[in-house]
Parts: sequence; C-alpha cells; structure tokens
Amino acid sequence: MGQKGSKIEVTKTDKAILQIKLSKDELHRYTRRTEILIRRERESLKALLREDPKNGKKNPRARVLLKKIHYQNHLLEQAADQLINLENLVSTVEFKLVEQQFMMGLKQGNEVLTKLNKEFTGAEDLMDSVADQIAYQDEVDQILSSSVVGGFEEELDRELQQLDQEVNGPVHAPANAEPKLPSTEGLPTLPGPEPEPEEPQKETQGSERQREAVLT
Amino acid sequence: MNEKLPPIYNFPPLYTCQPNVLIREQQLSTWCDLILDFAKTNSVWCMSQEGTVVKDSESSGQSIFRNESIQRSVTAPFRDQIWNKMVQSEKAIKSNNGVYFILWRSVDYWSSQILQWFETTGKLNQVMTVYELLEGDETLGWEFHGMHPSLCEESLQRLRDRGRATLLKEQNKIMGVKVV
Repeated sequence: MGQKGSKIEVTKTDKAILQIKLSKDELHRYTRRTEILIRRERESLKALLREDPKNGKKNPRARVLLKKIHYQNHLLEQAADQLINLENLVSTVEFKLVEQQFMMGLKQGNEVLTKLNKEFTGAEDLMDSVADQIAYQDEVDQILSSSVVGGFEEELDRELQQLDQEVNGPVHAPANAEPKLPSTEGLPTLPGPEPEPEEPQKETQGSERQREAVLT
Repeated sequence: MNEKLPPIYNFPPLYTCQPNVLIREQQLSTWCDLILDFAKTNSVWCMSQEGTVVKDSESSGQSIFRNESIQRSVTAPFRDQIWNKMVQSEKAIKSNNGVYFILWRSVDYWSSQILQWFETTGKLNQVMTVYELLEGDETLGWEFHGMHPSLCEESLQRLRDRGRATLLKEQNKIMGVKVV
C-alpha cells in the first residue's frame, strides 16, 4: 500500500526510553519472581511447622527460611522503589519531550513574529510622512477654502441681491407686497356661528373681531 | 478439564478417527471447536502438539486429547490431522519450535485490540515494550493481557504493515513498539 513508504521515525530518545523500559520490565519480572518465591517459602515454612508442631519452632531450617523470607521481602521493597524511580524517570523524559515540542513551538512563533516585525521597521518614517502629508492636506484645504470665502462669497451675495431687486422691485415695496384681499365691506353680515363649547375664548375673540369688523 | 467443555467431549467415538470422510470432517471441526472453546475459557495462548497447555515454554497440565473419565485418548496421527485442520482454517499458527498458537480470536482482531488500547490510553507516539504491553498493569482487564509474545509480535507486524506501528529491535529481538 501507499502507506508503506512513510516509515515512522525512531529517534534516539525513543531508543533511550526503550532501554529504560526494558530495565523496568526486568525489575517487574524480578518482583514477580520474588513474590512467587516468598509465597513458596512461606508455604514450606508452614508445612514445616505443621509437620512437627512441637520442635518446629526450634528447627534451624525454619529459622533460616524465615530469615530468607525477610531478606527477600527487603529486596522486594528495594525493587519496588527502583521500579517507581524508573517509572518516574520515564515520565520525566516523556514530559521533557513535550516541553521540547513546546520550546520548538515557541521558537517558531518568535521567528515569525520577528519576521513580521521587521516589516514594520519603516513604520515610524511612514507615520511621520503620513502626518506630514495630512498637515499639507490641511494647509491646502485652508488655502482653498479661504480663497473662496475671501472674494467670491461677497460677489455672490451682491449678485443675489441684484437679482432679488430685479424680481421683487425696490426695497421699499414690502408695504404693498401684501396680497390684496377682497374687501368685506358691503357684504351682508353672516349670522355669527354659535360659540362652540370646546374653545369658548377663541370663539369669543373671533366674534369680537367680527363685531369690530361690523362696526367699521 | 472436561467439566468446562461441552458434553460431546465425553462422547467416546470422538476419539477414534472415523473412516467415513464426511463424518471425519465433522469430527475434525468438532475438535477444532473444542480446542478453541477450551483456549478461550482458560485464556490459553499456546498448546503443544500433544494437546497440553504451554506456558513460559513449559508444557503443563493434562492433554486435551486425553479424557480420563471415559478412558479415551486421541492417537498421534489423528492429532496431526486435527492440528492440520486447525492451521488450515486459520484457527492456529504453528510456531518454529513445534507449538501451536491458538487463535480463538483472529490476529487481525488482536492487532486492532492493541491499537484500540494505544488509542484509548493515550499511548500513541510513545515507546512501549512488548513485555509492558502483555504483562504490565496498564493492560489488566484487556483480552490480550498475558498473550504469548510471539503471537503479539505477529499482531504488531500487522499494525506495522498498516503503517501504524514501528517495531524496535534489541539484539535482533522485537522488544518495543511505537504506535502512531
């Protein structure tokens, strides 16, 4: 298959871990062996005591067996300690490998960052230049707007007034400018509408005005 | 050992090679089933040609081909036939030193079990020794715990062929494995 070509890499650390683990296995095997041995010796000791209940305790063989068991137990404890040590070592190595990955990641991130930052070295000059450009732009704006305000605006105002005069006649016209309304004189007086209750004041004002109109 | 086996185990004609071809076929497959059943219930990985359980390269216990309660046993030539049948139907592998690995599960099943273990325990990309895999406390409760190393090697080879594992050798012996 196509996957065969991609062989999984075996690094030196892998081999080192393998070595540690092999010695760990050896210890593990030893522990098992010793456990079995102790169990057997204990059984034979019990059998010895059972066989000869009276003199069993004084039997030198029994003492030797018990001593042996104790010694084996001692060794077993040591082996267990060493086993734990080796296990810790393996864990530490594996954790270090993770840390190594972490460092690699950090390094790469840093590289990318510096590379990106390098592209920003001209930033200050660029910002200065941009500020200059903006200032210049403002200047230009000011010049342009002031030139408009200076001459042109007044002229415009004048022209507008001239046009106004042309259309609406001389300035003193406003008195006659009110639209002529047909005079109410000579018209028969209308019967005043009954004052409505909602707006009595207004109505009364209105009727007063009407009355005035009638009087004149 | 017969109380754990089906009643057919105490059927005397089973121990004599039947002359009729059809019946003999049936007889052979019954024997295969018996051996597989026995191996599965007792977690037996390896058996000798005589039918005894092999553990740590020492054969021990009684032969499955000998039934004391009915005073019958299978003759050597017929045992060969049974083993041949086992190997043919891929229920057993004959190893170099004359013992048979009983495949009460297929090698593919074992390799996928091992892979599953690696995946569920987060051991991917870490070196594990074969011993650790088979005897360590971390695989307790998994079916492949206690498996014969050679059979395990066979399963790991399958994983390697699938590109999922690298076998680490030490003094020309496969000692470790790294699964990705």
